[in-house]
Amino acid sequence: MAHVRRGLMAGLLAGLLLAMLNFVTDSTPGRTLPDALRWFGISIADPTASRFAGFFLLIVLGGIVGIIFGFVQGERFISIGRSLLSGLLLGLIWWLIFSLLLTNIMNHASPLSLQFGMFLVTFPIDLLFGMVLGSIYFQLQGQPVVAQA
Amino acid sequence: MSISSSANERQHTEVKQTQGIRSTSPITLSEWSINGLALIRIFVGYLWFQQLFWKLPPDFAGLYPYIVRESLHTIIPGYGFILQHTFLLSCTNMQAAVGCTLYVPLAAGVWSAELIVAISLMFGLFTRAGALLGSLLAIQLYVGLAYTEWIWTYVMLVLLCLALTAIPAGRRLGFDQWFAPGLQTAAKNHRVARFVSWFA
Repeated sequence: MAHVRRGLMAGLLAGLLLAMLNFVTDSTPGRTLPDALRWFGISIADPTASRFAGFFLLIVLGGIVGIIFGFVQGERFISIGRSLLSGLLLGLIWWLIFSLLLTNIMNHASPLSLQFGMFLVTFPIDLLFGMVLGSIYFQLQGQPVVAQA
Repeated sequence: MSISSSANERQHTEVKQTQGIRSTSPITLSEWSINGLALIRIFVGYLWFQQLFWKLPPDFAGLYPYIVRESLHTIIPGYGFILQHTFLLSCTNMQAAVGCTLYVPLAAGVWSAELIVAISLMFGLFTRAGALLGSLLAIQLYVGLAYTEWIWTYVMLVLLCLALTAIPAGRRLGFDQWFAPGLQTAAKNHRVARFVSWFA
């Protein structure tokens, strides 16, 4: 279960980073945080509460995704290359599910419709989330135990 | 874990230690410190990333008023002349890029350079190269816009990027953590790898 715990911790921390990045937005701080609520059809009238709820939802979602990441990696020690690339793949899946499909569905648009500006806003940040998750997971592993002959 | 900025520095330290000449103690960053610097690196990269959106292609219209401002208020004599004969060549309007011949390709170069800085810093991908490029871009912004805004605005950006040039902050929470060991091994035999390894 250690690998799942590592995944959870890595996911929570990467989710926290994602939420913090969404907080330091141009014009109004945290302007994009309620988007996370809209993925699940949730809306809160109070803008401040809505932003805080979005902030915590991103952390929780990060934790859930991290658990899945740890579960997929299993108990073996994984290299830095594998953890970073797996993280990128996870970020890609996150982008496909949340930033593309759910955002479009909730906006009553075609599920796969994509504009360049929207792609540029979301895609690198979601990949970054995945890469950071993979990197933290690698660091939490510590050094591999070498079997003695 | 010790984070040495380059293979050369580490070799230099080792030589000094073996000779018993130890004028200064080597600097060692803890995991917390280097991870903290990596977080700062990500946020500085995000700062550059956000600034891409008000000057998007294909016309890069958002950048135009700033180029005009730079040409009028630069702190270096002659820089305005260069801008007027490159970015603003044949432009007929102060508000919008009308009639310009070179504006779009040059603005595309600026936008691409800022995108490279953002990706490099956010993903820790040849971070020091990205930070160096960011420093140059920020110096250019200071030269052009320092008189028109708070004087320290762009100095702070220059200093942030210079700090990230000095420290290999991409070796945690970034791809440099993956690439740096291989490059440092190759650097022992290849001059090019030695050069490239400094940037990771």
